[in-house]
Amino acid sequence: MIKYIKTLLLSSLLFFTACEGLVEGINDNPNDILISDIDARLFLTGAMLANAQAQVGHLNRIAGMYSGQLVGYTSLYSNIYGFSLSTVESNGVWSRVYVGTIPNVRHIRSQVPEDNLLVGITKVIEANAIGSAALIFGDVPYTEVNNPEIEDPKFDDQISVINAAIDLLDEAISDLAGASSRTLSEDIYFEGDANKWTEAAYTLKARYLLNLRDYAGAYSAALNGISSEAGSMKYIPRGSPDIAEGDKNMFWTIISGSRTGDIGNKGSFLLNLVDPTNPDSRNNAKTDETARHGYYTIEDQSAASNEGIIQQFEPQNMVTYAENQLILAETAARTTDFGTALGHLNDLRAWLNTGSGVNANFQDQPYLYEAYTADDFTDGGIENTDGIDPTDALLREIFEERYVSGFGMYLPFNDTRRLRVSDPNLDVPFTMNNGPTPPYAERLPYSFDEINSNENAPEDPGIFAKTPVNQ
Amino acid sequence: MRQKILLLLCCLGMTGALFAQQTVTGSISSESGEPLIGVNILVQGTTTGAVSDLDGNYSITVPGPETILNFSYTGFKPVEEAVGNRSTINVTMEEDIDVLDEVVVTALGFTQKKDEMGASSTAVNSDDVQRSGESTLINGLSGKASNVRIGRSNGDPGAGSTIRIRGANTIQGDGSPLIIVDGVPLNNSTTYGGGNNITGGRTGGISQQSRLNDLNPNNIESMQVLKGASAAALWGSRAANGVIVITTKEGAAGKPKINYRTSLSFDYVNERIPMQDTWGQGRNGSFRSGIAESWGDYIPDRAGGEDLFDTSGERFIAENGTVYYPIDEKRSRETFVDENWDQAFQLGGFQQHDLSISGGGDKGTYFFSMGRLDQEGIIRESDYDRTNVRFNNKLFLNDWLTLSTKSTYTNTASNRIQQSSNTAGLMLGLLRTPADFDNRDYIGTYVDEDGVETNLRQRSYRRPLGDRQNPTYNNPGWTVFEQLSTTDVNRFVVTPQLTITPASWLQVILRGNADISDDKRVYFFPIGSGGDRNVGIFAEDIIGRQEYNMDAIAKGTFDLTSDIDLTTTVGWSINDRNYRRNSGRVTGFLVNARKETSSLNTANENTSFENFRTFQRSNRGYGVLNFGIFDELFVNLSGGLEASSTVEGTFFYPAADLAWNFTNSFITPSETFSFGKLRLAYGQVGVQPAPHRAQTLAEGSFSYSSYSDPVSIDLFGGGFRLDDDLGNPNLQPEIKTEWEIGADLRFFKDKLSYSVTYYNNEITGILLNTSLTPSSGFDTQYGNFGTMENQGVEMDLTYSAINKRDLSLDINANWARNVNEVTALAGTNTIVLPGGGGSVSSNAVVGEQLGVLFGTGSLTNPDGSFDLDENGFPQLTSSPVVLGDPNPEWRGGLGFNFRWKKLGLNVLIEHSQGGAFSPRTLWVLRRFGTTMETANRITLDQTLVNYDGDEIAAGTTVRGNIRDFGAGPVLLDETWYRHGIGGGFGDNQAYNFSIKDATWTKLRELTLSYRIDGPGFRDATPLQGITISATGRNIININNIDGIDPETNAGGVGNSLGLDYFTNPQTASFLFSLSVDF
Repeated sequence: MIKYIKTLLLSSLLFFTACEGLVEGINDNPNDILISDIDARLFLTGAMLANAQAQVGHLNRIAGMYSGQLVGYTSLYSNIYGFSLSTVESNGVWSRVYVGTIPNVRHIRSQVPEDNLLVGITKVIEANAIGSAALIFGDVPYTEVNNPEIEDPKFDDQISVINAAIDLLDEAISDLAGASSRTLSEDIYFEGDANKWTEAAYTLKARYLLNLRDYAGAYSAALNGISSEAGSMKYIPRGSPDIAEGDKNMFWTIISGSRTGDIGNKGSFLLNLVDPTNPDSRNNAKTDETARHGYYTIEDQSAASNEGIIQQFEPQNMVTYAENQLILAETAARTTDFGTALGHLNDLRAWLNTGSGVNANFQDQPYLYEAYTADDFTDGGIENTDGIDPTDALLREIFEERYVSGFGMYLPFNDTRRLRVSDPNLDVPFTMNNGPTPPYAERLPYSFDEINSNENAPEDPGIFAKTPVNQ
Repeated sequence: MRQKILLLLCCLGMTGALFAQQTVTGSISSESGEPLIGVNILVQGTTTGAVSDLDGNYSITVPGPETILNFSYTGFKPVEEAVGNRSTINVTMEEDIDVLDEVVVTALGFTQKKDEMGASSTAVNSDDVQRSGESTLINGLSGKASNVRIGRSNGDPGAGSTIRIRGANTIQGDGSPLIIVDGVPLNNSTTYGGGNNITGGRTGGISQQSRLNDLNPNNIESMQVLKGASAAALWGSRAANGVIVITTKEGAAGKPKINYRTSLSFDYVNERIPMQDTWGQGRNGSFRSGIAESWGDYIPDRAGGEDLFDTSGERFIAENGTVYYPIDEKRSRETFVDENWDQAFQLGGFQQHDLSISGGGDKGTYFFSMGRLDQEGIIRESDYDRTNVRFNNKLFLNDWLTLSTKSTYTNTASNRIQQSSNTAGLMLGLLRTPADFDNRDYIGTYVDEDGVETNLRQRSYRRPLGDRQNPTYNNPGWTVFEQLSTTDVNRFVVTPQLTITPASWLQVILRGNADISDDKRVYFFPIGSGGDRNVGIFAEDIIGRQEYNMDAIAKGTFDLTSDIDLTTTVGWSINDRNYRRNSGRVTGFLVNARKETSSLNTANENTSFENFRTFQRSNRGYGVLNFGIFDELFVNLSGGLEASSTVEGTFFYPAADLAWNFTNSFITPSETFSFGKLRLAYGQVGVQPAPHRAQTLAEGSFSYSSYSDPVSIDLFGGGFRLDDDLGNPNLQPEIKTEWEIGADLRFFKDKLSYSVTYYNNEITGILLNTSLTPSSGFDTQYGNFGTMENQGVEMDLTYSAINKRDLSLDINANWARNVNEVTALAGTNTIVLPGGGGSVSSNAVVGEQLGVLFGTGSLTNPDGSFDLDENGFPQLTSSPVVLGDPNPEWRGGLGFNFRWKKLGLNVLIEHSQGGAFSPRTLWVLRRFGTTMETANRITLDQTLVNYDGDEIAAGTTVRGNIRDFGAGPVLLDETWYRHGIGGGFGDNQAYNFSIKDATWTKLRELTLSYRIDGPGFRDATPLQGITISATGRNIININNIDGIDPETNAGGVGNSLGLDYFTNPQTASFLFSLSVDF
């Protein structure tokens, strides 16, 4: 009997030796493609989409609410408007920066290190993403990110990260200097235009230096920055009007989907500021914002009713000509002289006065941006009714214009926190209408996913903790 | 006892030479003298047999006087007669009341005496499942075995259900047991994805089916639940969640038995959320048309009569001609809570017809069955139709060769209704509708101020004139009547088997199996559907699955010594699984039509195609040794060596169990203590890694969303990203190691039997998508990252309290408690379970039981009290926290089977004690102000502060409730419920207040049946008998949650539990059935 058992077990062992061979080679993924089979440039669009969402997505809308630009009316956004928000809200944007953008642009650079155009472009994108993250969150991981050896990157000091972004921009500027433009359909911001990328790199550099309060450095960088509206870096919607989401203005997408009526800007401090009929209006003898008010107004009850800044196909600003001009104006007022600063401001006003600040649907509405003169800022002038120092009056007007022109970007949120420290009397005195009273938010929360998984993550200090640059 | 197994083996075997022949005749009757028809008579050791006729007479030719005849008949104890010189042998057969005397069908499909098994198993009587009145097999198992939880996600017809044995066994993988039908694994998948993702997948979309429900409950002969690892170890990496062994019916030799059975069921919604009808649409106490909430005016204070309208401009003309204008002044006090409900719901039900014919002779047996189920859901337009055809036959080719084939074809066709977190879903639109809005005219023509008409516009409470294409939330009428979500499944399962018996001690089985199904799913949202789908979406998924099995098994039986028997089984099995999904989609219709065709828009940019495939193969060699020592000690050893395409190398799964029948010699059985057995078992089982996860590849077709704002690479010219899921080439099976100890005891001449088991398992290397640190560059990685432990106790008791010829009462009870702990998640603290997402999620959290409810809550002080704000209200936690544990403390079932003459009464009660449940529907509806909870109207007798810090003076009459969070009473009014943290959406709510006690008790089943089969009836009719029965199903339902059944699961089939979010409701039923035997 034992013999039988042995025979049976032995014969089964023969099967066992064969059994591994039967299953070999089946587990290769039949659905996805090998990275090595794909041209590096094909990773660019995805990285740019991720960066675009980091710049103008959910956290941007929250930043807008926390700087009096937007109002959360109902559902989720009304809670957040009332400062009830959790770290979960930051998961999306955080992942766009650290997973969507940085690994992909670095992959492109590693694949085509000799392609100066792609190398330069990807460095600007990375600097845009990480710089924004540092400005809104504070200390963030950077030096150890995207390193296969490091599971839990440490958090770096905010200022060092902004400086690292500036260094990366310098490298990009140098790379782009050695590159020539070429048609690059994967580049959904500038279609491979090296000059536009160079200018955008300078404006970003100026933005970061301004936030570090290196006004001279910022001025110098901005002189090479975006020199015309055509050079503004934007997320540009496209596609069929029948397709509601996926390639449209992201704010439009929110309103057109299930979040109709949740968020908008009617009743916000910003919209009152540009509303000629509102007591808080900034209109004066040389300024008529009627067209811009119309352009800025968000019809939150119906996406389709929007013809202006959140129209289905309206591009969304990320780094703009107006921002560059206003960096020049502010830093000149702080470092050079009144006249130079005024000149930069008037350059922008001249451009606004061509109707370029609004889209074609609003160009037939009244607008006026007559050049200011030095007198307008002296005691009793139209921009100095309270008799303050003329340069301060000019700065105050520049800050206000930054607050208005920066709508849709992190700029107003960054400015309110920056100026609250450096120029508390000149800062735009926004309020969160029908919302909470000061103190206002000083940062946005870290991502819950990061805190949950990263052993080196600090506890989230809360939204009222000032970040190092704004101490 | 052992003889029976030997006998069974011998039945299939043969003996050698033939001797001189003689004929034996006789009659067979029961103890009461009734002739027994269809008794099998078999010459022992051969396949020569005969069957008794209508008068109980038989005749058989036997080889000679040494012959032994075996008489067997279902429900009676077998009889063995040595022929000797007799030519007439009359037999009286004794009814077998000892149900435990049954054999257990093992994981390999063999039978083994239960009393000789060291692993625990529970048989579920197929009659009980059939009688339950459930149209689907899985739900019919509810409450019938200890520690087997059947979680039905909602009451949709044909919806899948979660089966969980002995608690949670895996984290993100499939927690369902392996289903073995006729010896081979059955595909019991529940597939989400594809077009269902248009509306959010598991947590939106529709409920999907479980493929186990393709089986017709009426075709099942027996079901065996093998709970422990030791009994299942032969199935290696597929058996971690336990095994359910199902055997389908076969014919028995004899003249054709024809049975026709029909059932008629009436189903209704078992619970309704109490809705208020005293407050109108609006905010801040005033009426406003089109607004989301019902925080408007006090309806009894309205002027009454007709509303005042502005008839000068835009209007909506309903299909019946009714014209709706903008409201100038709301005067009407009319409310429509019931009318709106009835627009979507109805008395559902099904009718089922089953015809079966079975029989056989010397050369073979057959069983043929046809079944048809037509079900209409409780939600209008939802349905589930199933057609089953089965043919099982067995051919005795010669003395040593038997060929059998079990084959079945199933078609199911169903339309399901969009549900849950989904603006085109049913309950979301319905329950948010203000009491003073009439939903019934949901479709018509919108005429704008200039008189321009738009047809087929949806009218909803958010768009009372249909003035926009997007209604914001669907009118339930639109959800039900205009949208489609159909599925059409064709499935063939064929299992041919060759049984070779070359010697009396050896049996060889060669078994093949093919299980092939295709599922065609259509999702159709016409122009004007809620949310992003308002442009019109048509999507179609074709899902194909093929599963092939080949088994070769040899089984030998030996007597090693006179006291030691040995049964050896060696086998090899290969399994191949293929999955393929092709999905096409048209987004944005050019034509506002109701035809499911891609012609609605053929522009390239509006159409998309996507495919997804998986392949998996595994093969196993295995061996089993069963020792029987002195008929008292039974040792079973088994091992399986497995190789799988998803794992590098091979894995060995060992198991051992020991059964000691101590009433054989150690203790002498008595009248009181009739049988005792101790069991000890140990085993390892596993879970195979998912296919195709080893590599890090480039991903296309991705989209990004930060909050309802998706951008898609496909619409920007295509492109790739590095997969954010890091590949893992080192995947190993997840291993569950379990030991159990238990006892089976019988008392009072086996009238009372009791079985108890304690088990303890550890699951290591749990396969899951762990959250990586995002800043590392990857979001997730799939791998062996978790560990978890379960321990528990389960008890089953049956008591034959009365057992007389005309009167019997059986009582059965089961009870189980499982305690689980997630002990590690490798680098992350918490993971959301599939289907458990949302603002309150069902998570794996280290140190907690699997599935804990997780979300933002209220800040607390070290002493556990709330950390309140200056107004005395709770404050929000900055990150999500554990809110509650949805796992019950224990569960139990209690059944009574009472029979008086031909009248039967069956009762089954099921209870689940403890656990937490988050009915987030109710939470969100606080914000909308539509539930009774928000309708309270009080006059304050003291000045109180509300959430905004406003003081409301004493004497004021307000809408709200008073509560003390710890700093004195405060007023919970609109500021708390609507825009505070006390009701609403998102990750910013005090969800700790949403948690309720999940305890429930259900009268699962109450059946009254009567059988007519007396001799007079048989003589007067061509029929053998008729059984009629009436069943109430889930008709009593006791729980602590207003209007929501805590068995509901918004996450569908899976490991998440304890959540509800506008999930379609559960049902209760009355069922009538008639069974006729010809």
